Amino acid sequence: MIAVSGVSKTFGRFGARRVKALDGVSLEVRRGEALGLIGPNGAGKTTLLSCLLGFLRPDGGTITVDGKAPDDLSVRARTGYLPERLGFDRDLPGRAFLAFHWRLAGGARNRAKAEVEAAADRVGLERPALARPLRGYSRGMLQRIGLAQALLHDPELLFLDEPASGTDPRGVALVRERILEAKARGATIVLNSHQLAEVEKVCDRVVFIDSGRLTKSETLRGDSATRRRGLVRVSAAGLAAAASVLSREGFEPNADANGSLRFPVGSDDDMARAIRALALADIPLYEAKVSAELEELFSEKARA
Amino acid sequence: MIEMVRRYVRQKYGSPGLLVALGILALIETFTFANGGGRGGFVIAPWAIFLLAAGSVSRDVSSGALQMILSRPIRRTEYLFGRYLGILVSYGLFLAVTSALIFLVVHLTTGSAAEDASPLRLVLLAGDNFLTGAFQAAILLMFSTFLPGIADLLGLLVLFLVLHLPPWNKTWLRNAADAARENLLPQVSWNEALRGEGILGAATGRWVFALTVYLVLAAVIFSRRELPYGQD
Repeated sequence: MIAVSGVSKTFGRFGARRVKALDGVSLEVRRGEALGLIGPNGAGKTTLLSCLLGFLRPDGGTITVDGKAPDDLSVRARTGYLPERLGFDRDLPGRAFLAFHWRLAGGARNRAKAEVEAAADRVGLERPALARPLRGYSRGMLQRIGLAQALLHDPELLFLDEPASGTDPRGVALVRERILEAKARGATIVLNSHQLAEVEKVCDRVVFIDSGRLTKSETLRGDSATRRRGLVRVSAAGLAAAASVLSREGFEPNADANGSLRFPVGSDDDMARAIRALALADIPLYEAKVSAELEELFSEKARA
Repeated sequence: MIEMVRRYVRQKYGSPGLLVALGILALIETFTFANGGGRGGFVIAPWAIFLLAAGSVSRDVSSGALQMILSRPIRRTEYLFGRYLGILVSYGLFLAVTSALIFLVVHLTTGSAAEDASPLRLVLLAGDNFLTGAFQAAILLMFSTFLPGIADLLGLLVLFLVLHLPPWNKTWLRNAADAARENLLPQVSWNEALRGEGILGAATGRWVFALTVYLVLAAVIFSRRELPYGQD
């Protein structure tokens, strides 16, 4: 478990250069949980990630990973990390890059080739690309090979900073699949990303960070989910009727400009009840889904 | 540690630009030596240490490579001394190749075993340069743990200039400056020391002491250094 208690971090010492990047941040990440860090640019997310990885030392507060310091070697042996921008030896071929990280993490030399190729396959990097130096990689390819290195040794702790940044839609889906795989085998994941739709698809919980403070925590999955919105899209003509039906069922629908109705739901069963009620009232339903609507949360918090 | 050394050597000798620069230095040294310019020792080759050692840590910090490496179960000192050994191996390789080139060129052009380029003399010259370079590399490494880019070269230059300021008017200041210079930039005649003359002398002792000081300082500074990356 990752435990962050009252962590503060200030950069610069005097005047305008003094920036409080983190201000009394406390949170816990349970074993096997996927936590999303969201917030505007400059909010302190990357600083928090740097503290969690032990690259930065907090001015105040404590961070422990299973009771140990984040830079304890036994913690690092179980850690996978993908930075936002992969900056490594540009003349190094992709294969050598992965083999280097395999060896650094304590992997046997005689298994390096097989493990490197398996890791590359997992992120959809073809063999000829592995022979090319990193300088010849596109942004998306760098993200893929970065993710491959982070997943070497099947780490129990995964810190990902904008993992799908710069990747094409296929790459975005692939990154999501790999994160979900890691989650399925019990890895604890901390994901920093502005791609809120992806965060919603993989994270169990999100925390909103603004001006160095943790201002909101929302559980997205399970019975304790705190943020669940039902969304139904009907024809413009049926909008008022649909709102009336939903109100009768005890929901509190709000119509938006796109002709959709949004309403809080407590569970997936609630959503099923809403759909059934609309169907029984003969209202054609074009779309129905349950969403945490992180974009809305983001906008609310940003406005606040 | 071995992975760190291997990476350093690969970084240096895998970079086409650096490889060309080192090749040019080796060729200039070879032809200078072959034309009689090597009587006093290597003239051009010692500059290679600056190409090989400059920015050894700072470049990894700015590129973010260091953060990736340190997310693995690697101690900071292991990384740091891996870099230092990498510099030594890279420089040793360069000196070995340069010495071999000199030997071949001199012997092919003169057709005889010229005394100036005898294998023993070349080994001693290479050893002399290697040990001098090892000392300079330790200073560069120390500066590289906290200065950006290749500002470590500037740090070395400033240290050299400060310790070689013109004689001070006050006797005690002059004595202090002399003592600092003797202890922080000790001069050792490696050519003689490697022949066994005064190898255990005071100068060698000061050299070992100063080298240790620079490496320990590098380790202390680097262990305490914070490594921010990216933007929030």
